[in-house]
Amino acid sequence: MRKALLARYIAGRLALGLPVFLGVVTIVFVVVRVLPGDPAAAALGQYASQDAVQALRERLGLDRPLPVQYGQYLAALARGDLGRSLINGEPVRGEIAHNLPYTLHLTLLAMAFGIVLGVPTGVLAALTRNRLPDSIGRILSLLGLSAPAYYLGILLILLFAIQLRLFPAIGAGEPGDAVDALRHLVLPAGTLGLVMAAAVARVTRSTVLNTLGQDFVRTARAKGLRSHAVILRHTLRAALIPIVSLAGWWAIGLIGDSVTTEIVFARPGLGSLMVGAMLQRDYTSLQSVMVVYTAFVVLINLAADVAYGVVDPRVRY
Amino acid sequence: MRPDRHGTPRTGPGGGLTRRRLLQAAVAAGLAGPGLAERLARGAAAPALAAAPGSMLRFGQAAADLGTADPHYASGTQDRALVDMIYNGLLRFAPGDSSVIEPDLAVELPRPQVVGGKQVWTFRLRPGVLWHPSEKVPAYELSSEDVVYSLEKAADRSRSAYSAQYQGMTFQAVDPRTVAVTLDTPVSTNLFYPLVANYSGGFIVSKRAVEAYGLDGIKTRPVGTGPFEAQRYSPKDRFTLVANPRYFRGAPRLGGVDYRYMADLFSREAGLRGGELDAIYGDKDDAWITRMQATAGSRVDIFGVGESTVLYFNTSVPPLDRKEVRQAIAYALSREQFLALAGRKASAVQDAPLAPFLPGALTEKEVAARGLDYRTDVARARRLLAEAGVQGGLAFECVTSQLRDYQTPYESLQAQLGAIGIKLGLRVVDHATFHALIRKNTNPLVIYIAFRPNAEIYLRSFYHSASTVVTGAHPDTNFIHYAAVDALIDRARAETNAARQVALWKDAQVKILEDMVAYPMYYTNQVYARTAVVDYGHPLRSEISLYPGIDETTRLRRG
Repeated sequence: MRKALLARYIAGRLALGLPVFLGVVTIVFVVVRVLPGDPAAAALGQYASQDAVQALRERLGLDRPLPVQYGQYLAALARGDLGRSLINGEPVRGEIAHNLPYTLHLTLLAMAFGIVLGVPTGVLAALTRNRLPDSIGRILSLLGLSAPAYYLGILLILLFAIQLRLFPAIGAGEPGDAVDALRHLVLPAGTLGLVMAAAVARVTRSTVLNTLGQDFVRTARAKGLRSHAVILRHTLRAALIPIVSLAGWWAIGLIGDSVTTEIVFARPGLGSLMVGAMLQRDYTSLQSVMVVYTAFVVLINLAADVAYGVVDPRVRY
Repeated sequence: MRPDRHGTPRTGPGGGLTRRRLLQAAVAAGLAGPGLAERLARGAAAPALAAAPGSMLRFGQAAADLGTADPHYASGTQDRALVDMIYNGLLRFAPGDSSVIEPDLAVELPRPQVVGGKQVWTFRLRPGVLWHPSEKVPAYELSSEDVVYSLEKAADRSRSAYSAQYQGMTFQAVDPRTVAVTLDTPVSTNLFYPLVANYSGGFIVSKRAVEAYGLDGIKTRPVGTGPFEAQRYSPKDRFTLVANPRYFRGAPRLGGVDYRYMADLFSREAGLRGGELDAIYGDKDDAWITRMQATAGSRVDIFGVGESTVLYFNTSVPPLDRKEVRQAIAYALSREQFLALAGRKASAVQDAPLAPFLPGALTEKEVAARGLDYRTDVARARRLLAEAGVQGGLAFECVTSQLRDYQTPYESLQAQLGAIGIKLGLRVVDHATFHALIRKNTNPLVIYIAFRPNAEIYLRSFYHSASTVVTGAHPDTNFIHYAAVDALIDRARAETNAARQVALWKDAQVKILEDMVAYPMYYTNQVYARTAVVDYGHPLRSEISLYPGIDETTRLRRG
């Protein structure tokens, strides 16, 4: 029964996501064309004659009326065809397939880092409320929330890559070398993870504090359970519910921050792809990356809602 | 459905969702990801050759991505440098010194002959030059058929960005190793050699490769005859080149070039200082150059060719149609102030429309002798404005690129014009938008930074009426709506005597300065940094491709 309800719930949410998806696609399509830059001129560079630019515009179909271009774009999108880059002629689907795993690795590792660092820090802060560890934790989390990811990234590069030379500063490592790839992930994932850890620690602290005052915790203590059992089995478990529900938002935030992080660390990924497409007025690549980002937001929100039900048995779909 | 301890049905068994399953799925996705990434990264193109990582030159270029590897469209610095390593021309600019032209795929520099009133240049090709092997086209020997096909492509507006420079030319394969180029109108060697050298339309492409891959295909799968061949292109990341062991000048000393696209200066600098890059595109700012020069183990190279920064007056916008107003503005400006912001280590004052390194440029002395250097004289500027009856209340609105190279001189211009009561409003837009807008005649005052390979192209692009934005026969970069030097430019183009040609170019520049339609500000050289182990293999005076020139002589002196 619950399974059927869940399936219906997911289907409903996906159906609701479609208009959102279409809306974003339309907005992106219009906005990139309203901007004054010309992709043909950008592709040919400043030395090209107007004749050459016009010839390329015709070849790319940019001289066609906007509604015609829009119709063709939607029809292709419905077939799963994301088109070809206006700049280098490569299939955009291939470019996204190439870059997507880099962004996924970065955000997943950053999330893991953020949770692994943030949850214990929050718990420790809550258990030592208004004492030194709590104050230190709160100051650090405030700093983490205040520092933009790119700024934190620069600091980490200066310290760990240039001064100490412990980790590489740029790139994603040699393709096929998993260890090298992981080494290249440490600093960028650490950058994003620290920002997320700050947020996680603050939420964890407040939810743990709130939970510690609940009756079931008092009951658990009254039963004579050891302190760590009370915290791990009862307090933390209940405190995880708001953390999991917020994980979706954090994930979306991480994907946003990954754009600047990929630029600072010169990593391939969707962010680099998007920024490059913007600079080069590569409409098709830009639209397609935005489509993927939109799909991510819709799916992550859905996953967060589903996960909320998984961690909290009281939730009904 | 099995109830849990609280009596609530799980969504788990038989494919349902449990916390454990959710965790397992997440871990599985994480593990699957790297494998997928590796497969995709490897699959971008089949490697032809493998290079030892230690012998790879790791180069950080200031760009977000490849524009195109089709040399007949390559215009950004990142593309010009890339195609320079892959392709050859019939002739070439000598590595490290672009003022010298020498044979490349041709065995000698041709001399022109006049046949039936037309000028004919005959090239004999080097024997045994092989095209890089590729997935679709195995290596084969260069022939006159390739050269004719390539030059015809360069002259075709639908297949080249540089077609305008090749109009009035016909190309003929005389025999498999001889090519004749016939010009309807004779030109001097000054003008002809650069057109068939390793730059822009002069790069020779493989007929079979272009036909096999198509125009879109060769944007990312270049097939040339140069010292390095394309191995793999990773979008928004890098282009990996490997040494061409069959290169006609001998196998390169490097194993290859890992050509990284890195738009952010900090990232490039971090890569160099962290030991992950060997050479990078630098910054022209004095402070950056000083810092890198002081960094242990790094070297900074500053070399030509320089890019000229010039202020153009749009004479279609009143009162800039009046010479006294333009001269007043010129006298109000200070090149020293512009230069102080541009940086004195990489830039120098430019008094003439053409930069001093271009053959045909007026020298500083020649400009000063004619009283056309427009040294700063604010009192004179005010007097000229008063005589023109526009004292006070003059205001202009301009767009400027967000790039510092543009925004800084525009802001300096704003401040300097303010001293004589002229208000300059600035709207900052992204670089591509700036270029689009100024070509739509939006700016009364256009600051433009450019290099052109010779005086003819420079003067024709910026001062010939045919190049006038929007209204010209072939709209290009004549932002000033000017036609007064058309005859001089046309006569110079048709002049085959080099000395007389130079004299005509100088006459055109004098007229431009007398009319003050353009105020030359400064020119800026190229700045690159490298680690001490990099030896480019040649001195660095000037490189027309705007990078240090990586060829078969370049090496890494590690260990």
